[in-house]
Amino acid sequence: MLRALISKDLRRVWRNPMPWLLNLALPILIVAIIGIVFGGGGGNDNSLGRIKFAVVDEDKSPLADFLRGAANQGKAGQYLEPVFLERAAAEEQLKEDKLSAVLVIPAGFASNYLGGRKVQLELVKNPAEQIHPAVLEELLEVVVSGLNAISRNFKAEFPAWREVIQGNGDYHDAARLIERTGDKLQAARQYLFPPLVGYTNSAGEAAPAAGAGSNSGASTSGTKDKAAPKFNVFAYLLPGMAGMFLLMLASQGMTDLHRELSRRTFERYHTLHERLLPFVAGKALFTAVIVSMGAAIILGGGQWLFGFRWPRPLELGLLTLAYVCFATGLMTLSVAFVSDEHRAATLNNVLSMILSMAGGCMFPTEQLPAVMREYFSRLLPTYWFATTARELLWWQAPWHIAAAKLVGLGAVLLGLAVFVFKRRFQKGAR
Amino acid sequence: MLKVSAVSKAFGTIRAVEGVSFHVSEGEIYGLIGPNGAGKTTTISMVCGLLRPDAGEIYVQGKLFSANPGEAKRLMGVTPQDLALYEELTGRENLEFWGRIAGLKAAEARARAGELLEALSLSDRAKDTVKTYSGGMKRRINLGCALLHRPRLLLLDEPTVGIDPQARARILEFISGLRASGTSILYTTHYLEEAETLCQRIGIIDYGKVLAEGTLSQLQERLGEGLVFTVEADFGGSVPAEWDGFAAHFRVLQKSDSQLVVAALGRRDPSDCLKELLELPVRLQNVSLKRPSLNDVFLQLTGRQLRE
Repeated sequence: MLRALISKDLRRVWRNPMPWLLNLALPILIVAIIGIVFGGGGGNDNSLGRIKFAVVDEDKSPLADFLRGAANQGKAGQYLEPVFLERAAAEEQLKEDKLSAVLVIPAGFASNYLGGRKVQLELVKNPAEQIHPAVLEELLEVVVSGLNAISRNFKAEFPAWREVIQGNGDYHDAARLIERTGDKLQAARQYLFPPLVGYTNSAGEAAPAAGAGSNSGASTSGTKDKAAPKFNVFAYLLPGMAGMFLLMLASQGMTDLHRELSRRTFERYHTLHERLLPFVAGKALFTAVIVSMGAAIILGGGQWLFGFRWPRPLELGLLTLAYVCFATGLMTLSVAFVSDEHRAATLNNVLSMILSMAGGCMFPTEQLPAVMREYFSRLLPTYWFATTARELLWWQAPWHIAAAKLVGLGAVLLGLAVFVFKRRFQKGAR
Repeated sequence: MLKVSAVSKAFGTIRAVEGVSFHVSEGEIYGLIGPNGAGKTTTISMVCGLLRPDAGEIYVQGKLFSANPGEAKRLMGVTPQDLALYEELTGRENLEFWGRIAGLKAAEARARAGELLEALSLSDRAKDTVKTYSGGMKRRINLGCALLHRPRLLLLDEPTVGIDPQARARILEFISGLRASGTSILYTTHYLEEAETLCQRIGIIDYGKVLAEGTLSQLQERLGEGLVFTVEADFGGSVPAEWDGFAAHFRVLQKSDSQLVVAALGRRDPSDCLKELLELPVRLQNVSLKRPSLNDVFLQLTGRQLRE
């Protein structure tokens, strides 16, 4: 019966596709407009170009040197254009709008880090820019995650490293330490997301994550210029827009249940069957199918339209399916609570927009007030999806954690919806 | 086939149905007639399980509906008053879909949909979407959707409302055919002529109560020997109660400023009745004799026209 219910709804969509197409076309259109405004579409590669930022090294330690170096090494150099300045000069250039951001490595960074004490990198963003500082912040989060992972896994080696960095060890000790740490890194590599050292060592793998052309891990020197990946503004914007409009698509799918009620087809079903949940389940499955198709069109079509390739399509696909699960659960619950189509549609649209704005779908969360960003945005499923999808552009982000959270939340919401529907049906289907 | 026993339903303070009882025998068309808001749809909704009665019981084929609603529903087909169709789908797709939902296999539903399209004279429009259909065609498909699984009990809630006489005649003919094939039918309408021609027994319902029940002739007998006169006159403030001997020979069914509808009491000769009416102390304009209709019965029972 579920098959009959779903195929009936898909047929209805096919016969009257306009309302659905609107929710598919809008995100692509918005991405196109924003992308063009922010620099995409001007050239033949739709890239934002390199992100210029200053590194202020107040620590002057070898570890800080390493971080400085990482900023323009390998493929990172294709996206980033770091300049090394003193704080005053950097702030001056930031004011003059010559930089997107300033990264400050504070004094005592290396000794505190290796001493197991809390350290803080400082990122001063150019308020006049939106995309570049946001990208830098996300990249910095990658670095911080890497440093934290190293701190957790190599804490025992830190005293020895501190000795070496402070110039107290001899070359033999340093060589043994490097060898030992290298072995451990090799063994633990798959568990370290993102391994900071792995970033420099596996630049070829990280490179295509920018999502602008090459479809394999390593690029050959001969094709480097032609296939060189670049940061693509469309690829950056598209997951967020998809996050918002997939919610709206899910709303459209589930509020069809209200139309079934107003058209009396739900009642007709009830005259044939006592149990009503299969009908609701059919609608939820239809919603999941239509939202999945929508995701394929927005993300797949967007890729084709804007001329880039998702570097990790499988991971992105699975993450999106998890998001579909959440979106379906959320809208099923909403429809369970609100028994009027127009009210439900309005509520869902408002909910979708709030979740999308606060979750960083419409614009980076970095633009939001700090309190909201730190304590609210991170709790939102839209944030989990949009942020992880964007991170997948650059590195093998822990998408499975976000996906598990989304699926779990979706299941909880669906469970709640079933409970509410059961109660409603007990009181009478109308 | 169906027994409704003292069912009641209230919505808040409004008592929509109060102690309604009737039964529908095998192969019978039972008409439930009454004006809009009389409680017909609420009664049908309780019979098919859309609403739970506050009191009373419903039996389908001798079994209590509430004990196993799923089993009872399998025996029923319901045509709701409102069109319950998917307008974006074709007539055939609608039929096939409801066939699948009723539990038929895909091939079975396809074959049955073909049969029904033929029977409902819709084969030539089977591939058109329902939104392009006329009102009568939509009504026919709406009816067909209830018949895919060959129900033994058919509940028809005003199936001809809002369509032209030709389309109505087609539907009534089809329903007569269903009865001939042994289907029991509960038929609600406020078109009296439909009930008169189609139904073996009729229940008159108003304000949620069944006021009278029986065959058409049994109901007509409530008006005496079947003589109903319409008197058109200038009554000038005069009332029947003031007229000598009038109450002993006639019962007033309806009175307005210029018209009086009366039924003759007892076994009377029409010419005697006419003579008495012509001698009324009013300025007469016209007196006519007619065969009593269901509307007259309704008038007698409620004091108002069925379609008021």
